[in-house]
Amino acid sequence: MAMVEKISSSRRSFLARIWVGLGIIALLQLFTGAVAYFMSGRKQVEKNTPELLRAGVISDFPPGSVTSIVKGHLYLNCLDDGGFLAISRKCTHLGCSVPWVVESEQFECPCHASHFDVTGDVLKSPASRALDLYPVSFEKGVVLINISTPIKRTGFVREQLVYAQKSG
Amino acid sequence: MSKNFFFHFRPRHIPAGALCFTLTWGLGGMAALMLTQQLLTGLLLNIFYQPLPVLAYQSVEHIQTTIFLGRLVRNMHHWIGHALIIVVFLHLLRVFFSGAIYPPRRTNWFVGLGLAFLVLLANFSGYLLPWDQLSYWAVTIATSMLSYLPLIGIPLQEMLRGGEEVGAATLQLFYFFHTGIVPASLFLLLLYHFWFIRKAGGVYLPHKKTNPEAVKGKFVPVVPNLLVRELAFAAIVTSLLLLFSMFVDAPLGAMANPHLTPERVKAPWYFLGAQELLLHVHPLVAVFFLPLGIGSFLILLPFIKAKEEQPQRWLRAVFVIGIVLLLILTIIGIWFRGPGMRLMWPW
Repeated sequence: MAMVEKISSSRRSFLARIWVGLGIIALLQLFTGAVAYFMSGRKQVEKNTPELLRAGVISDFPPGSVTSIVKGHLYLNCLDDGGFLAISRKCTHLGCSVPWVVESEQFECPCHASHFDVTGDVLKSPASRALDLYPVSFEKGVVLINISTPIKRTGFVREQLVYAQKSG
Repeated sequence: MSKNFFFHFRPRHIPAGALCFTLTWGLGGMAALMLTQQLLTGLLLNIFYQPLPVLAYQSVEHIQTTIFLGRLVRNMHHWIGHALIIVVFLHLLRVFFSGAIYPPRRTNWFVGLGLAFLVLLANFSGYLLPWDQLSYWAVTIATSMLSYLPLIGIPLQEMLRGGEEVGAATLQLFYFFHTGIVPASLFLLLLYHFWFIRKAGGVYLPHKKTNPEAVKGKFVPVVPNLLVRELAFAAIVTSLLLLFSMFVDAPLGAMANPHLTPERVKAPWYFLGAQELLLHVHPLVAVFFLPLGIGSFLILLPFIKAKEEQPQRWLRAVFVIGIVLLLILTIIGIWFRGPGMRLMWPW
């Protein structure tokens, strides 16, 4: 008798476990369905197609100038030696928009007071990375900036500079 | 019928000692009252609010300037939202210090922590909706903090923003959080929270073992004794909130401009302690280790052995030190930081 009871109770608990298992599977399905529903509605941005911004003719940007390009959310800097850098305005610390301050000749972030020099290198933390760059090229005397993907970097090196005469 | 429903949450009789105001300071009830007021004012605002960039800002302006009593409704929603954070925080402190975190109330402590988290989430998701400069940049900063999380950081950030930058998709998502899933979960969890108090035998009476008189003393009927006290307290709280909202306007800055970060950008005040830390420590600490630490500390609290149904002295000390540190950081963040996050005197 005791034997029979034991068997039936273990059969019962086995069936109960199957129900619990099925319930968990159903919940997981519901969850993945909800996530897929949510994610499929998000815009897919094509990251690899270059989007070229015509900044202006080369002579608009004399050596030693820092020009705000509002549309690309960036600054086009021409250093004293004629090297070009397209520097993103987005602070590498927490994403605030960093303005160029003429008096101090620095980029100064209004949010957490990070400072960057004219090449975008960090002068004062909390930012730990130099400002992002955009690739610069030249075509028939016009400065082109590829604004589709910003390039992350730790600091400034001379190889990042682009010169107009070299690429003709 | 209505009476039957009421008595699911309240017993017919309670110990006379449970009527004592300083037992709870009315904090939990106040939080529930204010949540209901948020629901009502929120519904009213939702009639005219439009969750799209530019239109969002214009609809808030429209509510403030042309809708009858619109400014008052928005002021109330704004200020009660802020006050809720304080009331929930005080309620949490009261529950801890009165020792109501041990079984059978332990589960309710977790439910309460969940509610507190949802209140913060409701506040934060509502922060973006006016679409002014402050809301745009505060949310940019806050979602940027996520990108410092290892591995999941950037996907999580892009999911929350619905893209690389804060924009229309972000506003739509935050609107859905603020008016849909967060309030729905809040009120479901709130019912559970109330039911649990009833199940644990009513409001916590300290020193049940050492002072049995408090429990075994004379019982009084809930209607009218407790009901009248609660209604009177609710009336006082409501009039104070109404008065404050009549005389102090909720701020609305210039419309959001993704190209210009204003001089003074500050996170919501309840995050200013964390923002103050951000200036001194790596963001990973502020965004990951600090919330993880505080969260697990609060969850583990009721598992630490109690002494005579009360938290032990050293535990109280740790709790008090934590609160003092948080207050100091928050006060520095609110009043001692000027433009560009420079330290300054508030006077």
